[in-house]
Amino acid sequence: MKYLVTALSLLALPALANTPITGNVEAKCVIQTTKDGVYGNPIASRLSTTPADGGVLPVIRFDVSIADSYTANITHPTSFSSSPPLTDTVAWTGSTSVTQTSVSGMSAYEEAKVLVDSTTIFNLTLAGSTWFSTASSATYGASKPFAGGVYTALVQASCVAK
Amino acid sequence: MTPAYPEVKPSHVAGVVKVEMSLFNSREEIQWYQIELFDLNWTNIPFASSYRIINIGYKERKSFDVYIRKADMDEAVYLCTTSKVRKSSKSRTLISSRICSRLDGEPA
Repeated sequence: MKYLVTALSLLALPALANTPITGNVEAKCVIQTTKDGVYGNPIASRLSTTPADGGVLPVIRFDVSIADSYTANITHPTSFSSSPPLTDTVAWTGSTSVTQTSVSGMSAYEEAKVLVDSTTIFNLTLAGSTWFSTASSATYGASKPFAGGVYTALVQASCVAK
Repeated sequence: MTPAYPEVKPSHVAGVVKVEMSLFNSREEIQWYQIELFDLNWTNIPFASSYRIINIGYKERKSFDVYIRKADMDEAVYLCTTSKVRKSSKSRTLISSRICSRLDGEPA
């Protein structure tokens, strides 16, 4: 009986054959919103995402799987995507900065960033995650107060293959 | 959106090539993405696809083919998907994300 059990066990061995799991790491970029931006209204004629003005800076995370495959192009707003009717011009300012990195070498991104009009370009030379924050400020013409209502503006975050 | 450097393949239509793409939605607040094709100067180039705007749930993946005229392939550089954001009821900044693959690059 003992021999029979051993023989049956040996016959069952092929059922334990290894199943391979294969994978492929390819160049990939993922953009996620870490924090939504909110406009503060420190004075009647100004809307600003700066915390000192009562706003919240939007934070965007870029994950890249392979080094030196993408650039991060982040454009701060130069107009409202929706607002109450405005009769005067709005002066816009903005900037984008690196706020957090998953790899220490990414801190060099801030020094090497290039500003083209309202777009800040970061060369993502290392694999990993980088967090960017975008400051945005809108000042209404001739220090007029902004009309009451909801104001929204778009930050365009692009990950472009090199 | 992957691949970053898609392979251009022949299609079943003469004079038209196709690229096979895959889109993964990593943004919980986004459900719609628009497909766009640009040249090096970010000027739109015509293309055909089953979708222009894709409805895709959070953490879902969807595959799609993009058909481009061979005559346009010398100009076509960036194939992008751009998130469509919903109107907000709060004064805030909305984030539109765009991922672009390169048609003139080296396949990964």
